[in-house]
Amino acid sequence: MESYGQKLTDSWRIALFALLFTAGIVFLAVALHRVQVERFSVLSRDQLRQSVRRVQVPGPRGRIFDRNGVCLADNRASYCIAYYVEELRKRGRWINTIRAVDADVDRLAAELGIPRQLSFAAISNHVLQSLPMPLLAWRDVDQETLARWAETVESFPGVDVYVQPERTYPQGAFAAHVLGYVGRDRPLPLPGQKIHFYLPEMIGKQGVERQYNQVLTGTSGGRLIRVDARGYKHAVWEGEPSVAGADVHLTLDIKVQRALEKALRGWRGAGVVLDPRNGEVLALASAPAFDPNEFVPIMTPGVWKRLNDDPALPLFNRAVLGRYAPGSTFKPVTAIAALRRGISAEMTHACDGVFRLGTMRLRCWNTYGHGEIAMRKAIEQSCNAFFCHLGHSIGYDPIYEEAHRIGLGTPTGIDLPSEGGGLLPTGAWKEKQMRDAWRPGDTCQISIGQGLLLTTPLQMALLTSVFANGGTVYRPHLVRRAGLPEARNTMAWPPEAIALVRGGMHDVAELGTGRRVRVRGTAVAAKTGTAEVDVGGVRRKNTWVTAFAPFEQPTAAVAIVVENGESGGLTVAPMVHDVLVSVFGEAPPENEPTADAVAPGPEVRGD
Amino acid sequence: MLKTVLDRFQRLNPLLFACMAGLIVIGVAFVYSACSVREDPELRMLYMRHAEVGVAGLAAYLLLAWVDYRTVIRRWGWLVYLACLVLLILVPLIGEARMGARRWLFGIQPSEPAKLAVVMLLAWLYSRRDAKRGTVMFLLTLVAVGVPAALILAQPDLGTAMVLVPTVFAMLFTARVAPRIVWSCVLAGAAGAALILGLIYTAEKSNLPRERREQMIAMTQLKPHQVRRLQVFLFPDKDLHGSGYNRRQSEIAVGSGGAWGKGYLKGEQYMLGYLPPSVSSNDFIFAVLAEEAGFAGSLTVLLLFLGLLGSGLWVAFRCQNDTGRLFCVGIITLTFSHMFINIAMTIGMMPITGLPLPFISYGRTFMLTMMAAFGIVQSVSIYGRESETRF
Repeated sequence: MESYGQKLTDSWRIALFALLFTAGIVFLAVALHRVQVERFSVLSRDQLRQSVRRVQVPGPRGRIFDRNGVCLADNRASYCIAYYVEELRKRGRWINTIRAVDADVDRLAAELGIPRQLSFAAISNHVLQSLPMPLLAWRDVDQETLARWAETVESFPGVDVYVQPERTYPQGAFAAHVLGYVGRDRPLPLPGQKIHFYLPEMIGKQGVERQYNQVLTGTSGGRLIRVDARGYKHAVWEGEPSVAGADVHLTLDIKVQRALEKALRGWRGAGVVLDPRNGEVLALASAPAFDPNEFVPIMTPGVWKRLNDDPALPLFNRAVLGRYAPGSTFKPVTAIAALRRGISAEMTHACDGVFRLGTMRLRCWNTYGHGEIAMRKAIEQSCNAFFCHLGHSIGYDPIYEEAHRIGLGTPTGIDLPSEGGGLLPTGAWKEKQMRDAWRPGDTCQISIGQGLLLTTPLQMALLTSVFANGGTVYRPHLVRRAGLPEARNTMAWPPEAIALVRGGMHDVAELGTGRRVRVRGTAVAAKTGTAEVDVGGVRRKNTWVTAFAPFEQPTAAVAIVVENGESGGLTVAPMVHDVLVSVFGEAPPENEPTADAVAPGPEVRGD
Repeated sequence: MLKTVLDRFQRLNPLLFACMAGLIVIGVAFVYSACSVREDPELRMLYMRHAEVGVAGLAAYLLLAWVDYRTVIRRWGWLVYLACLVLLILVPLIGEARMGARRWLFGIQPSEPAKLAVVMLLAWLYSRRDAKRGTVMFLLTLVAVGVPAALILAQPDLGTAMVLVPTVFAMLFTARVAPRIVWSCVLAGAAGAALILGLIYTAEKSNLPRERREQMIAMTQLKPHQVRRLQVFLFPDKDLHGSGYNRRQSEIAVGSGGAWGKGYLKGEQYMLGYLPPSVSSNDFIFAVLAEEAGFAGSLTVLLLFLGLLGSGLWVAFRCQNDTGRLFCVGIITLTFSHMFINIAMTIGMMPITGLPLPFISYGRTFMLTMMAAFGIVQSVSIYGRESETRF
C-alpha cells in the first residue's frame, strides 16, 4: 500500500467535471426539445410523406340510357384473380420476391387448368412500381374457374378474388358509334392531389363515353396506404369517398336506331335521324359497325388488328366523319336560293336531256329530256338540266350563302368527340387548293350537289330538318338537355318559297323518285340522290335519300347514304321507309293493289 | 459477517445503483420494442439476451463491489490490460467479421473490456507514489493507450478508439500529468478536427475541379465511409437515400415522437423499417425510445444519466485516494462520452459513429463491461471512505 499516494488530486477538478457533464446534459435536453417539441409538426409531416401513399379509387361509372330509359351502357361485376405480393415477399433482393410470385402463378395456373396471362416482365414491373396494389393475374374469369379457385384457396395464401366493375353494352353493336367504348388507363389526378398508385380506370375513348367522360366518371375517392420502408403495404385507411358518376340520358331512340342499323346491314353507309323541332338525334348509325363489348376488359391486339385492317373501316364513324357528295339531295338548297333571289316559281327551262355550258355537257338522268319544266316539277323529277340552268342564272354566291347558313362546310357541333365539316368550297379555296379559278361549271356542278361539294350524313340530316321545320337550324345533340332547343341560325325564308320546295319534296315521295319511302298513314316528303364519285379510278355511286315526316308537322328528318348503291330511289328509299315506320308505325295495308307495291323500274330510276 | 455485509451495504451509493438499474430496465423495454418487428425468432428474443446480460452483469457488479477496488486495480489492473491486449491482437487473426468489420472473438468484443482495462491501468499508474507527472509519464500513457487504440482503430472501430481520447485526457487532467502537453494536445486535436471538417467542407462547396476535390478528401487520411459520415454531418440533406439515410430517419423518429410520444410499441419508424432493424436495437435505440416515449421519455433518460454521472462523481469526490478518484473520473467520463455522442448522433448533431448508449443499447460485451466498471465504482464508494469512517 505504501507505494500509492493517498490523495494528490484536487477536488475542484472533479467538481469541474460535474459542471461540464451537467452542461452537456442540459445541452442535449435543449437540443432534444428543439427536435421533439419545436420541430414536431414538420418531422411528423415528413414521416407521413415518406410512408403514406395515395391510391385513387374511382366511383362507379354512370350508365347510358336511350330516350325511353333502355340501358345502352351498364356496369357488371368482373371477377379477377389477384395476387397480394406482400404475402409472398421474400427477403433480400427484389428478384427473389418476383421469382416467388412467378412460380406461384405457374402453380396456380396448373391448379386451375387455365393458361397464365401474366408475363414475368409484368410481375417484375408490378413489384417494382405498384407493390401495394393487387396484381391482377387473371381478369374476368368465368364461374367455373372461380369455383375451382375456391377449392384450392388454402394452398395459395397470397391470392384473392378482386372484383372490379367492367363496362357492358347490353345492346351489343347497336349504337356502337354513338356510344363509343372505354379503355383502361391512368386516371387523371384530382386537383391538388397526388396519385401514387392506381388501378387503371375506365376512360371513355370514343363517342358519348369520351364526350361525357367527365360526367360519367364522377369524382374519384382516395385510399391511403401506409407502406413500410421496402414499399410493402402495412395498413390501409379510407380517405375521401368517391362519388358515383352521373347517368347520361340520350335523345337516341333504340327502336329507331335498331331499324336504321338493320336497314344498313350489309352495306357501307350511314344514316342519321333528327327531330326537326329541336335537333335531338333519334338515331345515328354507321355501317359496318363494331361490338364495343369486344374491347372489355381490355382491347386485345387481335381485335384491334382485325378492326383496323378491315377495308370497310368499321371503327370509322361515317355519319359524322364521312365526306360524300350529296347529289340531288342538295337541289332544294339551289331552289330556295333562286326563289329568294327573286326567280319566279313559274320560270321554266327546256330540258332536252343534256345541259351545255361552253364545252361542258351535263347529262340529265332522263336522256330524252323533261321538256319544258318548272321548279316544283323539276324537284320532283330531279331534273339536272333545270338546276344547272338555275344555278348558272343566279351564280354561286346565293347558293353558297344558303348552304353556309344551314351549316354545310362546318361541323354541326354535335356532342361527339370528333366531327368532320365536309367541304363547301369558295372561289378563294379553289384558287388556293387547286390553283384554278372558279368557273361557271363549278357553280353548275354544285347546283346539283356534285363537283367539289362534300357533306357528312349528319349535315344532310340537319339540312333536311331545316326544310322540315321551315328554316331553323338547331344544333344536333345526343344528350337530352333541359330548356329551349338551341337554335344556331334562322334562315328567314319567304313562306311561299319554303312551301314550294317542301311541296316539291312531297311530290318526290308521292309521285317521283322517292316513292318507296312512303309510309301508309303518314305523309312523307323526300329527296333522292345519286352522286357519282371516282374512287381510285373506279366510278362508284353514293346513293342518298333525305326525307322528313309527317309532312305538315314534321317530327323526324332522315338522311341515309349508302356507298355503291344502285340508286337513291331503289337502294336507300326502302331503308328510309323502314326507319320512318319505326318512328311512326304503319297503318295496315288496304286491300287494293297500289302502284308502289311493285315499283316499275324506269319510273324510280335516276336521281 | 452479517455486520460486515450490512456495513458495506450501507456504504453503497444507492442513487448510483438505482439510476443504473432504471436505465437497464428502460433498455430491456425498448430493445423489446425494437426487436419485436424482427422475423427471425432468435432476433425477436433479443430483449431476453439483454435482460440475461443484465442479470449476469448484476452478479459481476455485486462481486466487484464486494471486493476492495484497490486489490482489483492495483493487483489485477495490468493483468486485465495484458489480457485485453492479447485478445485484441487475436481479433484480426482469428476473429469473425460482421458487417465489414472484424471486431468479434468468441462472441465478445475485446475492444469493450479494453476501455475498462485502459482506465484501470491509468488509475494504477498515476496513483503510484513514485509516479512522475512529467513528459515521461505522458509518453508512457501515450504508449499504453496507443497500442490498444491502434488495434481497435484497425478493426476498424473509429468510435470506440475516439471515445478513449476524452477519457484519457480527463484522467490526465485530474492527475495533473504534464498539464502543458495535455492542453497543447487538446488544442492540436481541436485544430486537427477543424482542419478535417474544413477540408471536407471546402471540397464539397467550392467549384474546384474534381481531381482537386478528391485530393483534398485524400488529405484527411480518412476511410471513404468515414468521409461520408462527416459529409452527412456537414450537409444533412445531401444524400437522404444513401449515406444520409440513417441520420435522416432517426431524426424523423425522434421528432415525430413529440412531447409525449406515440406510446409504447407504437413507434412507426422502426416498425415500418425506415429505421433499419440492424441498428434500431443498438446504436439507434434512443430513436426508438424518443419516438415512443417522446420528449418526456428523453428527459427521463437524461435525468437518469445525470443521476448516474453525478453520483459517480460524488463517489470520486468523497474518495480518499487517487486510485479510486482517477478510476471513477475515467469511467464517468467514458460513460458521459458514450451517452453524449450517441444521443447527439441520433438527432444529427454529431457525425454517425457506432457508439452504443450505455445500459440501454443492446450489446452484451459492452453491457457487461459497463456493469463491471460501475461495480468497481460502487466498490470505491464502499472502501474509498474507509479512513473517514474509522475515526
